[in-house]
Amino acid sequence: MTAVATHAGGGLADHVHPEPQGFIRKYVFSIDHKIIGIQYMITAFLFMILGGMLAELIRIQLMKASGGLMTPETYNEVYSVHGSTMVWLVIIPLLTGGFGNLIFPVQIGARDVAFPWLNMLSFWLFPPAGLMLYASFLMGAPTAGWTEYPPMSLLGGAGTSMWAAAIFLIGVSSTMTGINFLVTILKMRAPGMTFTRMPLFVWGQFVTAPLLMIATTALGAALAALFVQRQFGVAFFDPTRGGSPLLWQHMFWFYSHPAVYIMILPAFGMISEILPTFSRKPIFGYKMIAFSSCAIAILGFMVWAHHMFTSGMAPALQLPFMVLTMLIAIPTGVKIFSWVTTLWGGVIHMTTSMLFAIGFLATFTLGGITGVFLAAVPFDLHAHGTYFIVAHLHYVLVGGSLMGILAGLFYWYPKMSGRLMNEKLGKWSFWLFFIGFNGTFLPMHWLGMWGQPRRVAMYDPQFQAWNQVCTYFSFVMTAALILILINALWSMRNGKRSGPNPWNARTLEWQIPSPMPYYNFKHVPSVFAAPYDFAEPLPYRGLEEELTGAPPPVPAAH
Amino acid sequence: MPENRDPVVHLDRQFWIVTAVLGVLALISILWWVWAPITSIMPEAVDKAQQIDALFRFLAASGTALFIFVCGYIVYFSLAFRRHAGTPENAVGIQIHDNNKLEMWWTIIPTVFVVIMAIFSLRIWAGIEFSPSNTLVVEAIGHQWYYTFRYPNVNGEVKEMHLPLGQAITLHVTSSDVIHSFWIPAMRLKADMVPGLINTFEFTPTRPGRYEIICTEFCGTLHGEMHSGTTQNPAYVYIDPPAQYASWYARTEREQIQASNAISAPLSPNQLNLSRGDAGAGAKLFAAKCSACHAVGPFDQKIVGPGLKGVLDDPAHPQLVDGDKATPENVAKILQNGFKGSMGEMPTQAGNGLNNKDIVNLVAYLKTLK
Repeated sequence: MTAVATHAGGGLADHVHPEPQGFIRKYVFSIDHKIIGIQYMITAFLFMILGGMLAELIRIQLMKASGGLMTPETYNEVYSVHGSTMVWLVIIPLLTGGFGNLIFPVQIGARDVAFPWLNMLSFWLFPPAGLMLYASFLMGAPTAGWTEYPPMSLLGGAGTSMWAAAIFLIGVSSTMTGINFLVTILKMRAPGMTFTRMPLFVWGQFVTAPLLMIATTALGAALAALFVQRQFGVAFFDPTRGGSPLLWQHMFWFYSHPAVYIMILPAFGMISEILPTFSRKPIFGYKMIAFSSCAIAILGFMVWAHHMFTSGMAPALQLPFMVLTMLIAIPTGVKIFSWVTTLWGGVIHMTTSMLFAIGFLATFTLGGITGVFLAAVPFDLHAHGTYFIVAHLHYVLVGGSLMGILAGLFYWYPKMSGRLMNEKLGKWSFWLFFIGFNGTFLPMHWLGMWGQPRRVAMYDPQFQAWNQVCTYFSFVMTAALILILINALWSMRNGKRSGPNPWNARTLEWQIPSPMPYYNFKHVPSVFAAPYDFAEPLPYRGLEEELTGAPPPVPAAH
Repeated sequence: MPENRDPVVHLDRQFWIVTAVLGVLALISILWWVWAPITSIMPEAVDKAQQIDALFRFLAASGTALFIFVCGYIVYFSLAFRRHAGTPENAVGIQIHDNNKLEMWWTIIPTVFVVIMAIFSLRIWAGIEFSPSNTLVVEAIGHQWYYTFRYPNVNGEVKEMHLPLGQAITLHVTSSDVIHSFWIPAMRLKADMVPGLINTFEFTPTRPGRYEIICTEFCGTLHGEMHSGTTQNPAYVYIDPPAQYASWYARTEREQIQASNAISAPLSPNQLNLSRGDAGAGAKLFAAKCSACHAVGPFDQKIVGPGLKGVLDDPAHPQLVDGDKATPENVAKILQNGFKGSMGEMPTQAGNGLNNKDIVNLVAYLKTLK
């Protein structure tokens, strides 16, 4: 956009291309950020179904202490692909490529992301990467967990190399998405959309984008080294030939700890949108929430080795990693306290989306607290590598990220389809999910403390009863997710029509029709304040024609 | 940007009642964690375990108290400020944006808490990582899928770990193949066993008894079997009173010398009397020691190693995995020397705990599998 001029509304001049016609250009190889967002979501939810089926296989295997459903080899493949799927093919794509693409450009008053073609490329790397990962089952899938520590990953089946290539590809896709989002937020905000007026979901994406760009490169290097060692025998990780198995762990966690924040910061942003909307109150402590995200992202780069307290490193190195990790509790605590305070004095509309957001507060808090436990080296020496870790990571990734995603799904569904999801079914699915989730993962805390290691196909029979409890509750959780899937599919045609703004929300995406039109805005709006003052008139100008029958912008002549 | 004129906030009596109730609940939870009978579920076998449990009690108490307050307020606010049926659709909540004093306090209090926690952890950490000299040095080595141990002045590796009560111990851990982990829940201590690297921690046993060792780092097919509950190689550490330890040590020292003499002069397969084995005894041995990795089925039915049905009589596989001809002598050779293949490693005769007669019996049993 080189020619920038102001027009009567105070916005940018309309420089628009004609809407593409034809199915392929419109829905398959689309460069529209909203279509790409929906493509990401559909693909990621499909992979979530696969990953969820693998999760149930895991739980069924663990019904019996001696295993029995699968051989240990198959079981190892199943949980490795389950973890890889959920991290790289479900949660990261949903939060960044999915909801990020769909919502944040509209929230800053942009008509698309900065690089739409790059955006399309980012998406189209994703399904092939996922298929490659699942194709590894045909040649012996990876068995060493989603972390794939050597030397076990060097001994794994041929599919382990395929895994490395697939994750490398998804990493490239993530990196490009990061660049795209960062440039979009820096350069394409509507007039008046200053940083302190940006909705907090945009802040979430703004902080996540550099993590995607910087951290993922370390993962790419690690994966390339693993691939080269497996295929060509270069001894990066082989101690007998001068390599080090710990090298992988450092490189992997240098990515994967920031990746933990890639998987939660956008969800923080979603919660920060949903709570004020349904409380009819400004978000409490806007600046603290925004800046604490920055603090978390920066600290997130300096704590990776807390995953390796038992791996072997100089004792003096454990110290800064422990203290820095504990420091993250402070900005995280500030966020949680601000969210809880946002509820106080509100007029709370208990929609399904709000239920998921409030559920997020409870379960994420628990996951955060156990995270602080694990930061303390002496406690970590006991809990590392046990089911306590499994419990902790599912509380932050399911109780945190996935709850946020489900809250966001019910919240923003009308912006994709023009219809609302069924609230009654939604509330049922929330309670089933909440009970099923806690019943599945809460007992894992004490199972781990008592001595059940993670990644085992069979275990000490004394733990069988509690494992069965976990499995039964996991069925409840799965049932809830199936209900949500049915709800989303059914509502596409049969849901109540939502109109542009069913929740009375104040960010920009709710001021244009649902589903959102091509190019989003007829005129780029001007912004005069942060979007959370529910008692004030909307702080935008130039939106008058959005919901009327005024003609769409005229395509520029080329 | 319109000026934020936040209204003056008054917290009502109901809020303070709820706060008091949550405070009482938090206090109860703290008291529970202070006196929780942790040791009745998991004994504390070493000095460090008591310290780590003290840290855990502190973490759990403060974590539970915080969790009670956060969840309590969430539930209370959700119920108290819920929109009622009669509330107009456009009603808004109290338009308050922030409160510097409140935000300052809820930054300072967690900071102080983090500092206390860090200092508490540091003191214990220093005790684990840097300890007195004059310790007994013991080495633990991880294998797929069992542990062995080395003691000063004892030849070779022994299969049981004994520690003297009250003596400071330095434990070195490492691995012979992949990464394992050495965890004794009763000690609350763990270190990964990394090939090419020695990890160290120090402690003093304070309670006699037998405690389980568990591997917590994924190490291959039978990772889940690498603990005390298995029939294969149950992993235990024994903490003995000093006199009992001394006699165990003396006996082991003697036995290991004999064993090493035996190992230094192994019988070649031709010296074993392979035609006179007891197939029944071999079958029992096979079930106990081999069946975790080998099926009694066709070659392709792999668990870790190949299926062994017809190993001596299979036209499709006239050669053994090491490329030698399938003869009783060559099978015995693999049983003696072990074998390292792409999927894993078969331990040696010593690693499997087999004597020469066992090998003869196993070969006799394998001959019957046609």
